[in-house]
Amino acid sequence: MAVITQAPILVTIGLSLVQWIVVRPDLGVTFVGLNNYIDILVTRDFYAVVLNTALITLISLAACTVLGILFGLMLNQDFPGVSIVRTLVISPFFVMDAVAGIIWRTMMLNSSFGFNESLASLLGIKPVDFFGVYSLLTIIILIVWQWTPFFVLIMLAGFRSISVEISDSARVDGAGWWRELLSIRLPIIMNHIEVAILLGMIFVLKVFGLIFVTTRGGPGYSSANLPFYVFRLAFLGWDVGHAAALAMVTVAITLAAIFVLFRWFRQRFAEASS
Amino acid sequence: MISRARGGRRLLRIAAAWCVAVLWAFPLLYMLLTSFKAEADAVPPSLWLAHPTLQNYEIVLQQQILRYLEDSAIISVATVAICILVGVPTSYVIVFGRLKKADNLFFWFLSTTLLPPVAMIIPVFLLFRVLGLLDTLGGMILIFSGVNIPIVIWMIRAFLLDVPREILESADLDGASRLRSFFSTIVPLCRQGIVSIGLLVFIFVWNEFFYSINLTYVNAAPVPVYMAGFMTQEGLFWAKLSAISTLVILPPSILGWFAQRSLVKGLTAGSVKG
Repeated sequence: MAVITQAPILVTIGLSLVQWIVVRPDLGVTFVGLNNYIDILVTRDFYAVVLNTALITLISLAACTVLGILFGLMLNQDFPGVSIVRTLVISPFFVMDAVAGIIWRTMMLNSSFGFNESLASLLGIKPVDFFGVYSLLTIIILIVWQWTPFFVLIMLAGFRSISVEISDSARVDGAGWWRELLSIRLPIIMNHIEVAILLGMIFVLKVFGLIFVTTRGGPGYSSANLPFYVFRLAFLGWDVGHAAALAMVTVAITLAAIFVLFRWFRQRFAEASS
Repeated sequence: MISRARGGRRLLRIAAAWCVAVLWAFPLLYMLLTSFKAEADAVPPSLWLAHPTLQNYEIVLQQQILRYLEDSAIISVATVAICILVGVPTSYVIVFGRLKKADNLFFWFLSTTLLPPVAMIIPVFLLFRVLGLLDTLGGMILIFSGVNIPIVIWMIRAFLLDVPREILESADLDGASRLRSFFSTIVPLCRQGIVSIGLLVFIFVWNEFFYSINLTYVNAAPVPVYMAGFMTQEGLFWAKLSAISTLVILPPSILGWFAQRSLVKGLTAGSVKG
C-alpha cells in the first residue's frame, strides 16, 4: 500500500531526469541528468510563477483568516435567521471551481457586460481590467471567496468551544469588546486558527481549476501558479521531462512551506505552554 | 435609555450580518436569479426579474448535460462506496489494532494528499494511456478512490478515537470477534461520522477539476469538464449558463448543508474541537 501511494512520485522523479517531448518523437527519450532542473532554474518565468504562488498564498490566507474570524464572531450570536445567514456565507465552499470561475468571469467581473461595467459606469470610472493588469488579484479574490467559508466554519467551532463564563468574567473585569477579543478569545482559539491556516495553505497551493477557467494563467504567466505552470508544460507543450522536474520543484516548495509553518506553530505552542 | 440604545445596536448588528451574507453569496444568488430570466433580459445585469421563465432549464436539460451528470453521478457514488468500504476498516485496524507506529502509518497515508496532484499526474496519465484507462469511468473511479481513500482513513480516525475503549473491551469479553464488534459497535457508533465523510468525499469528487480535465475528453467526462467547455463555446448566453450552473452545484450544496454539523470535525480530522 505504502509503495503504491508513493510510486507515482518516484516515477515523476525518474521522468524529471530525461528529455522526452511527446510531440517530437524524432528526439527520442534520452537521459539528461539534472539538466531539466537547471533549465527551469534559469528561466525568468519560473521565478515569476514562484512569486505569484507566494503572493496568492500569503494574501489569500491572510484575508481568509481575518474574514474567517470576523464572520465567525458574527455567526456566533443568536439572532433571527442566523442559520440562513450561515448557510449563505458558507455556500461558496460547495461550488465547483469550474462554476465559481464562470460566474465571476462572466456576470461579475466581465468588463463589457458584467457588474464590473455597471458599477464603474455608475461611479463614472473605467471598468477594472480584471483579466489583464489585475489578473493575479482576480485569482486571489476568487480563492478568498471560496475558501473563507472553510475558515469561518473552523473559527465558529472555536468560538463555540469558549464557555460563556470566560467571556462574562472578562466583561465583569471591565475589558472592552476589542480587548476581550484580542487578549482572551483569540488566544483560546489559536489552535483553530493554526489548523485553518495549515489546511488552507495545503489547499491553496493546489489551486488549479479557478485559474484554468478564468485567466488561464495569463496574460503571459502573470496569474499562473506552480501547478498551472506544470500543466502548461506537460499538457500544452508535452514536454514530459521539464514538466516532471518542475512538478518535483513544486513538491519540494510545498513540503518546505508545510514544514516551516508546522514547525513554527509547534514552537509557538511549546513556548505558550511552558 | 440604555436598553433602547443597546436594542438599536443589536438591530444594526443583525442588519449588518444579513448584508454581509447576502453580499458574500451574491454571485450565487444573482446566478439563481439570472437562470429564471429570458436570455434577452440577462444582459446588462439587473436585479429585476421582468419575465420569469423556466425555459432555460428546459433548454439545457435537453443538451448533452444529462450524460455528463450521469457520468458524474456514477463516478462520485462508486468512489464514495469504495472509499468508505476500504477506508473505514483500514482506519479501524490502525486505530485499534495493536500496530507499532500507527501514527506514522497515518502520516504516510496523509502525505499523499498533502502534495499538489501535479506531482502524480504525468505518471498517472502515461499509465492510463498504456492501460487504456484514459477517458473511462473505471479509470476515473480508480484515480478518485486512490486520492480519497487516504483522506477517509485520516478523517474517520477522529470519530473512531471518540469510541470509548471500554465498549470495545466489553465486546471482547463477551467473546465477540473483532470483525463482529466492528459491525455491531463501531459502525453504529460512528454512523454520523461515516455518513458525513461519505458526503464530503462525494462533494470533493463531484467538484474535482484537475484530474477530470486531464484524464477525460468525451466518453467519461464529468460535469466540471462540460462546464469548462460550455464556458468557451456559449459563454455569452448567461441565462442558460446560469441555469446549468445552478443545476450542477445543487447536489453538493444540498449534501454539504446536511453534512455541516460534522463538517469541521471531518475537515480538520478532529485536530480541533468542533
